[in-house]
Amino acid sequence: MFGWTGTILRVDLTKGKVSREATDPQLARDYLGARGLGGHIVRSEVDPKTDALGADNKIVFAPGPLTGTFAPSAGRFDVVTKGPLNGVLAASNSGGTFGPELKYAGYDALIIEGKSAKPVYLWIKDDEVEIRDAAALWGHTTPDATDLVRAETDEDAKVSCIGPAGEHLSPISNIMNEMHRAAGRTGVGAVMGSKNIKAVAVLGSGAVKVADPEGFKAAVMKARQMIQAHPVGGSGLKAYGTDVLVNILNQTGALPTRNFQDGYFPTADKTGGESLAAKQLIRPKGCFSCIISCGRVTKVDSPDYKGIGEGPEYETAWAFGADCGIDDLDAITKANFLCNEYGMDTISLGSTIACAMELFERGIITTKDTDGVQLTFGNTAAMVEMVEKAGRGEGFGAKLAQGSYRLADSYGHPEYSMTCKKQEMPAYDPRGVQGIGLNYATGNRGGCHVRGYTIAIEVLQNGAVMDPHVTDDKAGLGVTFQDLTAALDSSGACLFATFGIGGAELTEMLAALTGVDYTLDEFMRIGERIWNQERLWNLEAGFTSADDTLPRRLLTEPIKTGPSKGHISHLDDMLPEYYQLRGWDEKGVPGKAKLKELTLN
Amino acid sequence: MIVKYFATIRTYTGETERRIDDAPAGMRELLTSLAARYGTAFRRAVFSGDQLSGEIIILVNGRNVVHLEGLDTPLKASDEVSIFPMVAGG
Ligand code: SF4
Repeated sequence: MFGWTGTILRVDLTKGKVSREATDPQLARDYLGARGLGGHIVRSEVDPKTDALGADNKIVFAPGPLTGTFAPSAGRFDVVTKGPLNGVLAASNSGGTFGPELKYAGYDALIIEGKSAKPVYLWIKDDEVEIRDAAALWGHTTPDATDLVRAETDEDAKVSCIGPAGEHLSPISNIMNEMHRAAGRTGVGAVMGSKNIKAVAVLGSGAVKVADPEGFKAAVMKARQMIQAHPVGGSGLKAYGTDVLVNILNQTGALPTRNFQDGYFPTADKTGGESLAAKQLIRPKGCFSCIISCGRVTKVDSPDYKGIGEGPEYETAWAFGADCGIDDLDAITKANFLCNEYGMDTISLGSTIACAMELFERGIITTKDTDGVQLTFGNTAAMVEMVEKAGRGEGFGAKLAQGSYRLADSYGHPEYSMTCKKQEMPAYDPRGVQGIGLNYATGNRGGCHVRGYTIAIEVLQNGAVMDPHVTDDKAGLGVTFQDLTAALDSSGACLFATFGIGGAELTEMLAALTGVDYTLDEFMRIGERIWNQERLWNLEAGFTSADDTLPRRLLTEPIKTGPSKGHISHLDDMLPEYYQLRGWDEKGVPGKAKLKELTLN
Repeated sequence: MIVKYFATIRTYTGETERRIDDAPAGMRELLTSLAARYGTAFRRAVFSGDQLSGEIIILVNGRNVVHLEGLDTPLKASDEVSIFPMVAGG
């Protein structure tokens, strides 16, 4: 095979057994890799109703065909499993260099199943695979665990590991790659924790075989030049990082503020990418083979929040910033560093702390619940303290580490949890930007922006432009973006490559790499197949069309101040058309004809 | 009227915002007068010939001028204008 290695590695932690199997060429063609192929493996082998933290769940690490090649921003992989936060077919996409290394070691996917009786880690060096004792690693933060694993294996090993949050089974815990890159959302870290596996270390000496080297080189060079020439891909993201979005979303009136009680934060500029570049940025950093370099290596000098690390991204700056009523960038960046160290999802934890602040201000919880802390909006020190507590799972932090839905529900007020399908929504207010609300509501893993980023068209004027306040044509926009992103994620490329190239360029690279005569139509069809695969799992797991919704607040309470004042989300104007365009019935169930067309069952 | 600048636009203007007492009648007049103040780099960022550049995002009270009347968008003294280069992330 070209592009794919042709081998899948399977590790059974219960039996301590390692085995290999061939990658099915037809499945590879139909699902590409990463999110698509990993999703197919999980859907074929795991009961959607199984306990996500039980031994019967499996966790798959899968790069895509482009991963590890010199295609632009092609260092991505997905961690696919039943997600502990909400039970969806979870796929967490991450950058860094772990994905390419797994490919160089010879694997299209690593399937981890069963449960170890004691803490272990996995050491993969090409064909040699060892399950090693991890007693000495347990309890360590992700940077310390990474260093310890490298000391025991190889200083060049690429390490993917969980922190204390994954160990205490927080459903908002991450898997961290090379310390700073997260496989986030849906709580995949807890699945590793439940299996007693602390880390996976990998070192490979192989290469990715290319079917048409000349054609691939030409397609890659063209794609690289297009990204380089794009104002965002070529220079904007490198200069300011994703946090540059704070101001444009705020000026649009769609920056969720104080747990989505408002859509405008007057001092947001203090937390934006411009301030970050001026105050904290040491240098931009790229993942494997990336010319965009949106990553931020940062330093905080202020005594209270001193530290060096990476971040924050826009979503993080918002979650610990405007959403908590906080404009202290040093505290926000510190909270980000702590999340990386403990292995926690910044969006979910920030939004959960914001939810707790609202519960506190409404008198639903008091200092008796919060370990004596005045958990009010804008209380910077309290926010950072709560991040620490959640990371350790101590005191009130243990409740926060459960995510905002379980937190608010435990006090009888789930309506203050700003979640879709129990996953915290990111940093775009659906009342100020209509299409993104449809994307959140229909999101296969719950509230999520990276699987149908309509913001690119509704706010950022990237390639085309649509009015954020209208609902017309947003269903079609959502479907196209969701399908395109599903295929792109599964190819191994980074979503941000689309700030420069599109489906046509990705198809061209894939065809030359794999030797499969992919067309743009087939690429989009693959995305649609993957989207429907995830939908089918979710229906089998017990989700219904009633879950395709937004928090009541967004449908009934208008934004109070700023440019989108007076607006609510008009989800109901878009959802029926969305189902229709998807070929689903009025209950959101894919029809027989659609499944046949997509060769799904 | 207040005009706010963001990201690379700040490197052309050397300031983050400017209060303008005599509000110009429309967007074209405003940008022309700002280009005269800030010079070539600013002018190239906002105009493509005599049209609005496709790589600039201008909001009037939060609304992108492409959804209003573009360069012909009328302005009044109480307006807040925000000028962004193309930005992205997520
Ligand atoms: S654009 Fe950013 S996230 Fe994507 S591969 Fe490059 S550095 Fe990583």
